[in-house]
Amino acid sequence: MAVSDLVVGAVGRGGDGVILSGELLMASAASRGLYGYMVQSYGPQIRGGESSFRARFNVEQVSSPGDFLDILAVFDWAAYKMFKQELRPKEGAFVLHDEDNPAPEGEMAPGRIMAAPFAKLSKSSTGGLQAKNVVMLGVLCGFFELDAEGVRAGIKKKFAKKGGEVLDKNLAAFEAGFSYGQANSTGETQKMRLDHVPGPPKLVLSGNEALALGALHAGCRFYAGYPITPSSEILEFMGKNMWKFGGSFIQAEDELASIGMVLGASFGGTKAMTATSGPGFSLMTEMLGLGSMMEIPAVIVDVQRTGPSTGIPTKSEQSDLWQAIFGMHGDAPRVVLAPSDVEDCFHAAVDAFNISEEYQLPVVILSDQLLAQRKVTLPSLPLDKEVVSRRTPAEGDVEGGYKRYKLGSGDGVSPMAVPGDPRGIYQTTGLEHNEKGEPTSSFELHEAMNEKRYKKLKAVAERYRYVRRYGAGEPEVGILAWGSSKGAIKEAVAKANAKGLKVAAFIPELLYPFPKHELEAFLRPLKKIVIIELSYGGQFYKYLKTFLELPEERVLLKKRSGGAFLGVAEVESAIEEAFQ
Amino acid sequence: MSEQAARKPNDYKSSLKPVWCPGCGDFGVVAALYRALSQLQIPQEKIAVLSGIGCSSRLPGYMATYGFNGVHGRALPVATGLKASRPDLTVIVAAGDGDGVSIGAGHFIHAARRNADVTYVMMDNQIYGLTKGQVAPTTPQGDKTKSTLYGNPDPPVDPCELALAAGATFVARTFSADMKGEVDILCQAITHKGFSIVDIISPCVTFRGDDQYDFWKPKLRALPEGYAPNSRTEALRFCREEGVLTTGILFRDERPGLVEHQEQIRKSAGFNPASPSKAEELVRGFYP
Repeated sequence: MAVSDLVVGAVGRGGDGVILSGELLMASAASRGLYGYMVQSYGPQIRGGESSFRARFNVEQVSSPGDFLDILAVFDWAAYKMFKQELRPKEGAFVLHDEDNPAPEGEMAPGRIMAAPFAKLSKSSTGGLQAKNVVMLGVLCGFFELDAEGVRAGIKKKFAKKGGEVLDKNLAAFEAGFSYGQANSTGETQKMRLDHVPGPPKLVLSGNEALALGALHAGCRFYAGYPITPSSEILEFMGKNMWKFGGSFIQAEDELASIGMVLGASFGGTKAMTATSGPGFSLMTEMLGLGSMMEIPAVIVDVQRTGPSTGIPTKSEQSDLWQAIFGMHGDAPRVVLAPSDVEDCFHAAVDAFNISEEYQLPVVILSDQLLAQRKVTLPSLPLDKEVVSRRTPAEGDVEGGYKRYKLGSGDGVSPMAVPGDPRGIYQTTGLEHNEKGEPTSSFELHEAMNEKRYKKLKAVAERYRYVRRYGAGEPEVGILAWGSSKGAIKEAVAKANAKGLKVAAFIPELLYPFPKHELEAFLRPLKKIVIIELSYGGQFYKYLKTFLELPEERVLLKKRSGGAFLGVAEVESAIEEAFQ
Repeated sequence: MSEQAARKPNDYKSSLKPVWCPGCGDFGVVAALYRALSQLQIPQEKIAVLSGIGCSSRLPGYMATYGFNGVHGRALPVATGLKASRPDLTVIVAAGDGDGVSIGAGHFIHAARRNADVTYVMMDNQIYGLTKGQVAPTTPQGDKTKSTLYGNPDPPVDPCELALAAGATFVARTFSADMKGEVDILCQAITHKGFSIVDIISPCVTFRGDDQYDFWKPKLRALPEGYAPNSRTEALRFCREEGVLTTGILFRDERPGLVEHQEQIRKSAGFNPASPSKAEELVRGFYP
């Protein structure tokens, strides 16, 4: 007996090393070529607070962290209580805890409770309690026949720098736990063995990392940003890696400065990006207008968290949609992309640079915490993806005097000179301007320039149609959603299809300008349209209504606040409701 | 300047006619800038002049160089991003006192501390002129303006004092009608390696009164003979003087700035200009 899908979780508090044990399990899965998906949760403390992880492993690619756990390791019951809602063991799951730390009365997790000597073995093998987490991994590998070799390799890599004693102690702790697990495993625990044939190793990446890699691949050579959860990993990644590419990095004094620096670098001909979260994006909207007005390429990432204001900064929500699309003074066209999985974060970064360069406007990438901070394993990244750069003036463009904002092109794009080019000297301004860039108060020119700037959106809409579509070919029920919600929806749709239900999902990754015709074609044959979003105010639903006649009698709106991620079961019940 | 004809002051002038009022001090500033750039013979295409919002911030439009007239108070971040990514360019910011030490005060401090190799030409008129006469962060306490009808309750900010405290490596003050002094200081500021600020008292005859030149001229005083501009604390003594406006280079210092630091970090990170890193190499590190 073996399983094809395994969800493992652990919870503890500072010093228990819970997060590290999750990372080691992911590394082990990646080295065996398994698909993995891990999310982590933290308490509000800066250091030493509660933390937990849940990691799901499968032979096939999985798109959600799984609703229920097969195995849960509890180091601390108070911490468990805090994460109870997101760490629910399934019926018959194994719940392990330290034998010295039994569950308090009434706080017992459901499932088969097993005590193991984490602390005792850590002490006997290393002399201290610090290696409890590694003992736990050993016990798991022994009990459930998980991949011990992969974990050993992970430990070696993780502690390679510290080397010597630290590495030896961790390996000893692992072996102590492993022997214990093997000696005490039963037919029941062995049923948890994940049935798979080892394959080529996979990458372990978070959405933030994939996005930053995509940006570097696209030629981003300037990054400025200000720390804000859950986008800070992009800042840290760029601060570490940008230099090797010959680029520049600045941690700015605030988000106003971040986007200012990005526009300055891009004005100078360098591809540039910044990343932030909702409140920081709000600060950037002033200069977003400037970028739109001056027609300067720029990529702005908003990794959404719950809001408004500080909200729950460590949890996902989909409530920055309106500010990304409509957050403007004046009419300020921009493009909004929304990746829906980790690999798409790479694509979105390259697409964002390509579109912003080609059409000389700001492009916003709406990511979210679940997408940005989860780690998954992937076979590879599409490093051959095409990269586009802006059009600079050709000889014909400077004859008789260069006009930076020349009117008349079909797509609204006019070649952009780079400082240093004596043929293309111009002065740009946030004031409305004529073709040369000189300030004007003329209504006619304002109208003509608005038309020029908006033509670019039309061109983008005609050219790009990023949509992910899943499920039955001739659906009766269709789900409309965006962003990280896709994961649970994709899985629920596959399960419903397997039951014979004709349901499909439409996940737009280009949110503005919206691929309207594709959506209309998708909606036409549907008996029921289910709209799912993590926005209490229903921002996505209301946004759709700005350009679409939604047949209200056929719409089932499933909206709620973020803060807890969308579950597969939640989507399944929405599908069932739609079929009633 | 070998075979190429020398660039004359007018070669830095665009064809646009300034929107400034007759008698505005900003005419003197832009004229001094044309002359300074001509003296330094910097090619027009290698210069970028950036600004925020305000009367003074119209200045980039009057230059025959690359120009960027952005949003209120935020020219310095734009200039910082440009200079960091294009160290080959001469980057000049032209902005007013409201722009620099009110709405953009946060950026002002950080540009100074980073020692970004940018020249900040502050056209200091002690009033909001473009919006027609409201109080500025530099307006003397007690002055009546359109928004302080009962007198300005707050003491002013001195841009030089602030720059000195924030770590600027070149701090100077001059007067817009003193063409010779202005051109000389601008030349030194532009060639200075690091963040330079030139606070130019640039009278607003429309909203501060048409006696502004008569008001300032008797107050002007050069730095004492033999003054060595190498001490921040000494320099501070010439800020906020009663009844006197001391002009000249108050402070200068050489220390590595934004551009040098970035080059150094690239070296430390192992950047090889002959073969820069590729995303492929970075991705390899994400396999177990």
